[in-house]
Amino acid sequence: MSALALLGAFGTLLVAGYGLLTLLVRQKIGLSLTEQIAFSWLLGTGAVSLLLWIFGLFVHGMLLPGLVSIVCLSLGFVGWRRTVPLPLRRTPNSFEIFLGIIIVIEIAILFYLSFVHTLGWDGLLNWEIKARYAFANGGVLPATYFSDSGRAFSHPEYPLAIPFTELWLYLWLGEANQFCAKTIFPIFYVVGTFLLVALGKRLTGRTWIGLLMAAFLFFVPQITVEVGSAIGGYADFPLSVFYLATIGCLFCAGEPKSDAFFRLYAAFLALLPWVKRDGVILWAVAAACGVFVILRTKRSPLFFLEFLPGLLIICGWHFYLSSMHALQPADFLPVNLETFGSHLYRIPPLLSAFLAEFYNHPTWSLFWFVVAIDLAYLLHRMGDPRVLVLLVALIVPIFLYLLIYVFSSWPSYLDHVGLSISRLLMHVAPVGFLVTTLAVSCRSEKNSARVREGGAVTCVTAGSERTPVVELA
Amino acid sequence: MTSHFSYGRIAHVMLWCGLAVALLGVSIPKIYSGATEHPLHSTGPLHTCDSYLKFATGASGASKDLISIFQSMNASRRIIIFTRKDDAFSSGLGMTTAYLASPHLVRLFEINGTHPDKELSKMNPDEVAAVVFCRINRPTWLPAGKVFGSGLEVVSMPEKVR
Repeated sequence: MSALALLGAFGTLLVAGYGLLTLLVRQKIGLSLTEQIAFSWLLGTGAVSLLLWIFGLFVHGMLLPGLVSIVCLSLGFVGWRRTVPLPLRRTPNSFEIFLGIIIVIEIAILFYLSFVHTLGWDGLLNWEIKARYAFANGGVLPATYFSDSGRAFSHPEYPLAIPFTELWLYLWLGEANQFCAKTIFPIFYVVGTFLLVALGKRLTGRTWIGLLMAAFLFFVPQITVEVGSAIGGYADFPLSVFYLATIGCLFCAGEPKSDAFFRLYAAFLALLPWVKRDGVILWAVAAACGVFVILRTKRSPLFFLEFLPGLLIICGWHFYLSSMHALQPADFLPVNLETFGSHLYRIPPLLSAFLAEFYNHPTWSLFWFVVAIDLAYLLHRMGDPRVLVLLVALIVPIFLYLLIYVFSSWPSYLDHVGLSISRLLMHVAPVGFLVTTLAVSCRSEKNSARVREGGAVTCVTAGSERTPVVELA
Repeated sequence: MTSHFSYGRIAHVMLWCGLAVALLGVSIPKIYSGATEHPLHSTGPLHTCDSYLKFATGASGASKDLISIFQSMNASRRIIIFTRKDDAFSSGLGMTTAYLASPHLVRLFEINGTHPDKELSKMNPDEVAAVVFCRINRPTWLPAGKVFGSGLEVVSMPEKVR
């Protein structure tokens, strides 16, 4: 019975996401099956959690899941009427099949790990707690929760994408179940691997590079087994997958006639601040990159309107918290020039702490070392605006994360860093894999013949052979 | 042929192969130990709370009992939870108990030492449904409460005490 209920919950999420995907793509581009599944899941979790929150302002009890289900099914009907075209398929070679098998084994291990581990500390007390309380209160978070000082430790101000996805499962299951709630996190891992495969192919024109990157995702301990990894019920890994989708779509939107990718980018961009509060920083960076792409591709100013949904979510959530008299977070001092000036002395120790984290092999293995080599590889391609966007999306959030600790209100700000830095860096790690994908394919891309594979034109253009103006004009 | 087997291409392939092997060499032991150190936990709806409480107090399946106790109390009154400063176990127990105490409002007190008499004496008992001691000694003037394993005690505040 539980399995059926879970299938129902996941099915409605995917159906709603697929419906939204078809509306955004408008049959303008072909998306592979892995892309369609990955995008559908991300859009579905975002849409269902937003619908639960918005409808929950007006109704609660049985009516709430009923209304959300009707919207999901309606979106599914839209998706059924206007399917996204699949590109031509080709037979995979033996190396691709081998890598595919490795990835399947890794996914199976990750599901196993997710089930044998409990929810992590934050997974329970920051995220699942909201789903449980909302479920017990007819699908709506109790107003008292936001102002209860005794539960300030659970950060009532955190946004609801993850807890309300868990809530959606609970509403289908008919009970709050910490074990079943864990199932959504390995699915985000699956989505992350699917995106790396698909984007790897789009960036390089070669399926095996995407498969290889997806296979190596498993071998970053911070993503697989460390505190805050993809199995612990934290929002950090899902946020990193949303960010990967955002930046990947923006990279593809840098090509001519890729408005569909720009719409997808805007949709994932809007969801970043809805997944985690830190998503606002990622939103700002990705939005700045989006502005750059709009200007470089000489798109219509109307494209700036696509930043509106994200702004609405940021302002809407802020307004909601104010109206609920939510407690102010106590982890940071007021962000202003005066505080910044008086805490500048923190920057050198913070830089040291960040550098030490990059060398933290038990947590990151050689991942950041590889990223450093990627940067060296891609220096000569900095003139390519899309590569520049990718590098900015990787590097700038790291510096902004470093800067926010300048405003830490913890008695020992370095303890604050030590407790959260690895999870913050994880937000950009999948984008680091995209950068690696480009670096690995760097030499082979000089052969422009390789930008086509299996008869289908990919998102890659032989960047090193084109001027930036041609690239984006 | 030249382009396929140039020195640059060979160096490129060797670099990335070397990096891949090194990364696997560093990662696999860590991931293996992380993957094998945990036995399969229960699959119940409260399995994470149960695991936390068992780890901190030794009591099995305590979550359900705690929820029953809290649900039997007047929901309009607060739950007061005492934890010890600089004791991660105590703090963890306190937060887990606060999680389970819904829909009651809770108030967490982090105190130095193990005797909360001073804080208790300042409280209005009419507003309190229960007092929870997380690795803290219950004052002798309070009636004994329900004890969970070692270190967790819930003292409900019945009418006659108030």
